[in-house]
Amino acid sequence: MNISQIQALAPIITLSGVIIIVLLSIAIKRNFVFSCTITAGGILMTLVALVCAWQNAPMQTTLLIRIDHYALSFMALLLLAGLAVLGFCYDYFKTRKGQNEELLVLLLTALLGASVLIASTHFASFLMGLEILSISLFVLIAYPSNQRHPLEAAIKYLILSGVSSAFLLLGMAFIYAQCGELGFTGIGHFIASQSAMNIMILSGIIFIMAGVGFKLSLVPFHLWTADVYQGAPAPITAFIATVSKGAVFVLLLRFFISADSFIYSQLVNIFSIVAVLTILIGNLLALLQTHVKRLLAYSAIGHIGYLLVAFIAMGSIAPALAVESASFYLVAYFITTIGAFGVISVLSTPQSEADELSVYRGLFWRQPVLAAVFTLMLLSLAGIPLTVGFIGKFYIFTSGAAGRLWGLLAAVIVGSGLGLYYYLRVIVMMTRNAEKSAVESKIYNGTWISTATLSVLSILLLWFGIYPDFLVNTIQSVSYTLP
Amino acid sequence: MKLLALLAWIPLFPLFGFLVLALLGTRFSKKLVSWVGIGSVAISAALVALIGFEYLSGSLQPYHLVLGSWMEVDNLLVPFGFYLDALTLTMLFVVTGVGFLIHLYSAGFMHSDPGYARFFAYMNLFVSAMLVLVLADNLVLLYLGWEGVGLCSYLLIGFWYKDPNNGYAARKAFIMTRIGDTAMALGLFLLFTQLHSFDIQTLMLRANSQWTSGSALPLVAAALLLGGAVGKSAQLPLQTWLPDAMAGPTPVSALIHAATMVTAGVYLIARTHDLFMLAPTVQFVVALIGTLTLLLAGCSALAQTDIKRILAYSTISQIGYMFLALGVGAWSAAIFHLMTHAFFKALLFLSAGVVIVRFHHEHNIFKMGGFRKTMPMAFWGFVIGSAALTALPFTSGFYSKDLILAAAYESSPMLWFAGCLGALLTGIYSFRLVFVVFFGPQIHTIDTASSWPMNIPLVLLSVLALFGGLLRIPLDSVFPVLPDAQPDTSFDPVAVITLAMPMLGVLIAALFYLTGTFSVQRYVSHGWGNCVRQLFFNGWYVDALYNSLVVRPFKALCTLNKNDVVDSLYLGTAGISRYLYHLIRRSQSGRVRWYASSMALGTVVIIAIGLLS
Repeated sequence: MNISQIQALAPIITLSGVIIIVLLSIAIKRNFVFSCTITAGGILMTLVALVCAWQNAPMQTTLLIRIDHYALSFMALLLLAGLAVLGFCYDYFKTRKGQNEELLVLLLTALLGASVLIASTHFASFLMGLEILSISLFVLIAYPSNQRHPLEAAIKYLILSGVSSAFLLLGMAFIYAQCGELGFTGIGHFIASQSAMNIMILSGIIFIMAGVGFKLSLVPFHLWTADVYQGAPAPITAFIATVSKGAVFVLLLRFFISADSFIYSQLVNIFSIVAVLTILIGNLLALLQTHVKRLLAYSAIGHIGYLLVAFIAMGSIAPALAVESASFYLVAYFITTIGAFGVISVLSTPQSEADELSVYRGLFWRQPVLAAVFTLMLLSLAGIPLTVGFIGKFYIFTSGAAGRLWGLLAAVIVGSGLGLYYYLRVIVMMTRNAEKSAVESKIYNGTWISTATLSVLSILLLWFGIYPDFLVNTIQSVSYTLP
Repeated sequence: MKLLALLAWIPLFPLFGFLVLALLGTRFSKKLVSWVGIGSVAISAALVALIGFEYLSGSLQPYHLVLGSWMEVDNLLVPFGFYLDALTLTMLFVVTGVGFLIHLYSAGFMHSDPGYARFFAYMNLFVSAMLVLVLADNLVLLYLGWEGVGLCSYLLIGFWYKDPNNGYAARKAFIMTRIGDTAMALGLFLLFTQLHSFDIQTLMLRANSQWTSGSALPLVAAALLLGGAVGKSAQLPLQTWLPDAMAGPTPVSALIHAATMVTAGVYLIARTHDLFMLAPTVQFVVALIGTLTLLLAGCSALAQTDIKRILAYSTISQIGYMFLALGVGAWSAAIFHLMTHAFFKALLFLSAGVVIVRFHHEHNIFKMGGFRKTMPMAFWGFVIGSAALTALPFTSGFYSKDLILAAAYESSPMLWFAGCLGALLTGIYSFRLVFVVFFGPQIHTIDTASSWPMNIPLVLLSVLALFGGLLRIPLDSVFPVLPDAQPDTSFDPVAVITLAMPMLGVLIAALFYLTGTFSVQRYVSHGWGNCVRQLFFNGWYVDALYNSLVVRPFKALCTLNKNDVVDSLYLGTAGISRYLYHLIRRSQSGRVRWYASSMALGTVVIIAIGLLS
């Protein structure tokens, strides 16, 4: 390993270092504010390290990890998302009893796992990253361990995650048995060299897809989503919804491109069926939901379904455009999802999570600015023009149309229609007159940190919605570096 | 040419007035509202006077001012352009001058109304829209003003919106004129697709050079524009909204009838007269519509008992005269009558307003009587106004109506005869009103002296109604001069009959209502007399006709399709979605064993699909 490789690995090394520092500082003295500051500083330092690594990319640092611009820019996105979640975590946990400092360590390890995941080009690093991420998440979900719902959610996630990892490993074993390779490119060469369809490889990929599909909550592996979203603390839910899913999706993209798996038309068919089901079932489940966190969970299922459309388009004729669309959609999804859960987070008190729709009744009259921010997030999720969500959805349509995936686009349209209904339902609820008892209660369980984070997210949402050029250019310049 | 460049400010001042009052009006004191509301129109009026003086002392060349581009798409070019010639100037005088007096009067009339600021905001917008309409150099900008006027009429007729009937009247005015507007919009499209311009002067030039007289295209285009004019000017067959428009406050009626709105149709035809001359058939239809309208409305006015409805029908009838004039090619006579009519009709309405305010907002003239002594101001206003309306010699109405009838005689004696008959009717119904309201036994009224803002406009309008006929604006610079400009004043049976008819009308009114020599009751109490009275009273049952021809079938169709067939598609979609939601929701059981087994089952199914496909 030479110096430039270490330089390229700098972000991951820095992040690991930060974890140890935070751990040590907690061991010396417990102080939530101080630990939060170190954590934030560590994430910022990692971002600086990213800039240093930029010039050395693309580089295959070891057998396991490839640092390229695509990985680096998504690392940056994940780290920024982590920073935003950290902000909400600070406000959410600062007033809660118990020892909250370890939460920060787990947040960092989860970020580390996600970073490894998106840079991995090998089954070993793939599994390693995924497990670092997952195990951190189990604990994060169960962090308020004196409550029933988080524990229940964590146990469910733990068990089902175990099942999915089993599928994943079985798939890897199938593939290894056939080609004797664990690296993505090696598998790709093997697949390309085969003249006929290899049943074992196909089954292997399908098993891997099942494992990954669980993390992405694709139908039929989606059943856990609502329960876990509901049980986890609001900022952690935002983390699961964005960092975990985003990293896994980026990995899926990399695996399919490196291993050249779109050669199998069966896979395209399967993904199409799964995508249609995911879009329809996700949105249908959200339709009459009155529990806001569950509603967002189901809508997230639908959104990953939309992402799959771009993913499938990559397998047909427009790979560059598809990667670009998927990346843009992911960024849009990050901004809006973190924003939406951020609002829920600042409305939650240690006594009660703000998850019932009735909590939001009359929010416009009580806290107009907060309600406006939530409205903005929901409109963006619904894909209304002038928000970043609209541009994202437009991208999905463009790539779907370029790939001639008319059936999938029909599902997207139906899904968007359903989506509009339940997002607007929440907005309408916020404009309703509040019941007498609820009128005076002004809950804002946030400090300037949450306020600033929500403002930045709202501004980004509108900025990228109105002038998407900057983001589009950035994504274009990095997405072509994917091998 | 310095002052002319200020042309654009004429509609802008009332617009600013509207904006200020609409945004801040509720925070202003009444005094400030009056200053803004009346002041903005006063400034416009002063500006018109200055510009008019400069223009008339110049060479009378049309002045064209383009402020900037409004729409610019391919070969569609619509600028914010204003065009000033003698016709525009006449309209500007009327709109701002009479408009200002009505605003001033409103300060007194509406003084105790809670919607004082709202009222002046609407009135300012009304004047502004009308000014845009008459100043526009292209048909699209004209249409903007046209629709603005329509909107304001809706807002003002329904001003006292708490009474649902006023709302109905407002909607009726809006919808009826909208029928005409649609025709006009189609006309605009036709002109643009055929002649590739919206600029009125360019259009007229191109029409003259590209179209032959009497061919199909100018015929259709003129007919469509006529549709718009008929709607706005309340002519047959779209006249039914005007009598109901009396639901608005009296100054609004004055503004609609005298200065704005109903004159728009006349102005449109005069402005596009080249087009109508290319379509002689349509032009004849204009004359025919005018004649029929003036007779039918005159008859209706005879039977009304509501003081404002009488005036409303008289307006329809007088606009009929203007259409008659337009139809026979007496363009400048039409505009001249438009101007004099503005003076005396404003006077009549404002006087009626005084009567109504002093008499507990009662409109029935047969409950009034003997107001001659108690309200001399209103009395003299009515006498002068009615004299001008009847076209008694040397009043303003006399000059204009005389011109129209003379031109009608040149065109067709039948039209002239109908016009004379109309003049007779005018004499009867005008003075019936005067005699019933102001003579006879005195009835007690509220003794509130009307304030000076209400009196000054009455005085000024009386002067204008009397001597306005002497005002001559050189309209001949705009219109083709008729071969026979002035009828000679020597003895001539036609002239004598024209002169005598109104007086005969006054005499008949006097015999019936002043001296009581004849009694109407005798004639109308039984049989066909009553039928005729009912026929007149109900405006020839046009409303009933429309009701049974259009409204009721439409309503029946609506009831038939009450649960919209098309809706079922959407309701069905919603129902299916809801059903599916409840179906799929069951899968979210919360049991881990079910979740895990569904994952396994799903994987098996997917592998099966993968291997079998």
